[in-house]
Amino acid sequence: MAKTIKFSLDGRHLSALEGETVLEAAERSGVRIPHYCWHKALGNPGNCRMCVVEVEGTTKLQVSCRLLAREGLVIRSVTSAARRAQASALELHLLDHPLDCPVCDQSGECGLQDYYMDIGRYPSAMREDKAHAGKSIPLGPHIMLDQERCIMCTRCTRFTSQVSKSHELGIFGRGHSQVVDVVPGRTLDNPYSGNLADVCPVGALTDRDFRFQVRVWYLDETESVCPGCSRGCAIFAHTSTRRPWHNKGRRLARLKPRYDSDVNGHWMCDAGRYGFADFDSDRLGKVMRLKPAAAELSWEAAQREVAAALRRKSAEGLAVVASGALSNEDWKAFKSLFVDTLKASRFLFSPEPDQVGVEDELLRRREKVPNLEGGKTLGFGTQIQSMSWDGLAKDIGAGKVWGLYVVDRDPVKVWGEKGRKLLERLDLLVYQGPCKGLSGDLAHYRLPAAAWLEEEGHFINFQGHVQGYRQALKPLGAAKPDWEIFAGMEKDARV
Amino acid sequence: MTKLLTAHFDEPKLHELETYRRLGGYEGLKKALAMGREALMAEMGKSNLRGLGGAGFGAAMKWSTVPPESKNPGPRYVVANCDESEPGCFKDRVLVTRNPHQLIEGLLIAAFAIDAYRAFIFIRGEYEVQYKILEKALDEARAAGLIGACSIDLMRGAGAYISGLDTALLETMEGKKAWPRQPPPFPTAAGLMGRPTVVNNVETLCMAPHIVLHGGDWFVKLGTPKSGGTVLFSVSGHVADPGVYEFPMGTPLKDILTAAGGVRGGKKLKAVIPGGVSTPVMTSDELDTPMDFEGPRAKGTFLGAGGVIVLDETVDMVMVAHNIERFLSHESCGQCTPCRQGSFWHERILERALSGGGTAEDLVALERAGENITGQVICALGDTVGVVTRALMKKFPEDFKSRFPERRG
Amino acid sequence: MSALTLEQEKVLKAWAARYPAPIMGLVEALRQVQRWHRCVTDEDEEYLARLFDVPRVRIHEVATFFPSFTQKPTGRHRIGICRGLSCSLAGSQSMCSCLEKKLGIKEGASTPDGRFSLETMECLGACEQGPALMVNDELKGAATEESISHLLEELE
Repeated sequence: MAKTIKFSLDGRHLSALEGETVLEAAERSGVRIPHYCWHKALGNPGNCRMCVVEVEGTTKLQVSCRLLAREGLVIRSVTSAARRAQASALELHLLDHPLDCPVCDQSGECGLQDYYMDIGRYPSAMREDKAHAGKSIPLGPHIMLDQERCIMCTRCTRFTSQVSKSHELGIFGRGHSQVVDVVPGRTLDNPYSGNLADVCPVGALTDRDFRFQVRVWYLDETESVCPGCSRGCAIFAHTSTRRPWHNKGRRLARLKPRYDSDVNGHWMCDAGRYGFADFDSDRLGKVMRLKPAAAELSWEAAQREVAAALRRKSAEGLAVVASGALSNEDWKAFKSLFVDTLKASRFLFSPEPDQVGVEDELLRRREKVPNLEGGKTLGFGTQIQSMSWDGLAKDIGAGKVWGLYVVDRDPVKVWGEKGRKLLERLDLLVYQGPCKGLSGDLAHYRLPAAAWLEEEGHFINFQGHVQGYRQALKPLGAAKPDWEIFAGMEKDARV
Repeated sequence: MTKLLTAHFDEPKLHELETYRRLGGYEGLKKALAMGREALMAEMGKSNLRGLGGAGFGAAMKWSTVPPESKNPGPRYVVANCDESEPGCFKDRVLVTRNPHQLIEGLLIAAFAIDAYRAFIFIRGEYEVQYKILEKALDEARAAGLIGACSIDLMRGAGAYISGLDTALLETMEGKKAWPRQPPPFPTAAGLMGRPTVVNNVETLCMAPHIVLHGGDWFVKLGTPKSGGTVLFSVSGHVADPGVYEFPMGTPLKDILTAAGGVRGGKKLKAVIPGGVSTPVMTSDELDTPMDFEGPRAKGTFLGAGGVIVLDETVDMVMVAHNIERFLSHESCGQCTPCRQGSFWHERILERALSGGGTAEDLVALERAGENITGQVICALGDTVGVVTRALMKKFPEDFKSRFPERRG
Repeated sequence: MSALTLEQEKVLKAWAARYPAPIMGLVEALRQVQRWHRCVTDEDEEYLARLFDVPRVRIHEVATFFPSFTQKPTGRHRIGICRGLSCSLAGSQSMCSCLEKKLGIKEGASTPDGRFSLETMECLGACEQGPALMVNDELKGAATEESISHLLEELE
């Protein structure tokens, strides 16, 4: 156990860990001291001079981001001298700032706005023409730069040198004419570039996807977990439903990382952040029997018909395709229906080859589904082995499989055109998922499942952390969570 | 009057080793090596030699904070700071031009004092002639076996004033842009490439051989109790004989002006900048001020690096303020916001006033902005933003009133 | 802009080998490149990044921070006039106008034939000889209209 140090800040008694600065300890205790350049994961260059505090026993104000907490230290951050210095630093940050808040996406979550309202509120004394610099410079696929809004806190350059280690960004030139930019000839396209819009405390680096889509004060925030890989980064889902005509009508506005020291720290990858932009496209909303005799069904009718169809022939010839995108709750109902009740013997849930991808040392994992571990705790991958797509194709081709139940996976995408022929040979194909994909139209029954943002549940990441995610949106149409579909069907499937 | 560093400046070939040695050169080094580290440090301590690059930090104190080899094994470095760039200061250039061996000798003594085997002379890139003089002098000294086990290397800057600040100088040497570091750690604990490093001004190092030869007590008696020895003044501006003048610490300002021939062209004196453009001006009423580290302080200004700029009655103090703030704005490294933005704001307000657009409320803005910059920045350059302007506003209100008139209607 | 010759690369490698750490030779290497190419090109920066084994961004930061380095070629003769306080008092502004007139260019520009470029500089450390001029790394004190005329004639 590290030694704890007691000190006081504005009359409150705080404790710091050894080696912690006053600002860090204050932040950890939920006490806010104004700051721009300090970032828990990016260090304390002390260049913004916003976090100045009074230290009892010394005359000079000090920056709390570089002041080590010491036993008995008496700190004041809200005295008139400290406030004057903070406000003065703010005034100088804003001196040449374009004040283009009405057209700036950072509006509403901007450090300049926030501190101006908290500690500024001075009348402007700036009478010079503001200095101009580059506007709307696309740095890469995801990030837009506005050099006029930049306050030179260097968080972004520290991110590209210390975290992504991709070294695209620098501060070029000197003094008041210096600018943040990419190295000539380079593009800001590292796999973590989206985080730069998050670390930038002002509107200098903004998210191109989010640009001009919706005002942040119309967004709702929900704690979630990224389903993009087995890391399961803690995230916030920001949804836009209060003004449906904003954000081009899309309900999901953006995903942002949520700090989790064990899983993802402050970051998330671009694949996760931008991978769900089309969340609402290609969605299923109706419970359908497509053949024979296409008709929209009620859930009760569909569950009854499908349950009966699943028992029509031997369990030996029934195959089930699932994915590591299922939640713990889904896996449990899934096992209960297909293993315990229907006694199916052929399962496919391995992520190969359609659910694997690039891996790196920072966050990204090879398995591009969030909850293979959840399946594993119920025996999927231990007692129950996954067959391969090739094996499944062979068995269908050989007539060994008559019925196939596919949960949120796309056989045609894996097998290509020959897959259509294979699927057409089946006596029964049930397709369940949030999206139609290439295989949805080929099914006898097509069941709309809720997407992860439309339900709550839990994933277990590759480290074994059980992480809950909350419901951010209402399910589209008749869609309901996978576990509810399985559970409803199981009633009817029991003899 | 005792002169140390400029004592033999009338010798035409002083820059050559032979002449330097004939006049007692390298005897200080010899004596230092013979007396040993402890005795050397004691003598330096007694001397009260203070950093003559402007900060006035005790030289022996700085040397003694270098941890001993036993506590921090590995290389340690000494750097002679010859990045002289403050407007009004040119004494290091003259010292190196006329007497390069004096610097080399001082540097070797410092290296011996902190047990360093590698020393550097960092010289501003514009001093190309002096670079060559030093190269030649180093060759001579090396050939004569004077440098011994310690190697001395040269390195040049590339036109940034901020490189003259010790931690920014170390950054420059490490091939980075010259953004000052924020101690702790101080360079003596972790400096060049993370190793203990002493950075001393050229003039400071040049004093070392004289202290060793004549003793710390003798040296301190030349000056005032708190500022030992002599000091070089670079005198420029409206004087008859601009140049470098060496005086004992504590010499009244007026004696320095007299030595430089007084105000040029029979004009009246308006003000004197005592230590380079980062030091507030003194008026003609303050000419009795003893010029050491304490005297100017009592008048709200600094000895600085002894860059005396004389301003006659024709000078518009708003022009002076603009010139100085423009310099600081141009040379601001850009790292911290108050300096980067504050200096630029000062420059623009003063520029507007010079072209006829000033108003009285600008003076309020200058006063307030300036007060909030000093003390709120990373380094000493930033700390000087607005300081000289405020002093000028206070001491020459008429100049400012006419450039910043009350707005009518 | 010409690429570096093998001979030139050798010189740069020597800078990288001269000091306790290779990167300590960077500023000197950039000075050298600036002298050869009258600017530091993208290609030069890429080469130096490889030579010193540091990200290119670091080289570009240094090359744009220090006024001695330019991204566009200077004239064959780089003339700087000091605008420090002492030199201003000594009339550096009228010397600058005089140079602008003689060269037919504004401060900050180069002559169309690439022979001269003119820039104002901060204190050159020659306050006693104001107005100070800097011509290709060489200090020239006490500029007068006459001395400037002679100087320009001497420089090819």
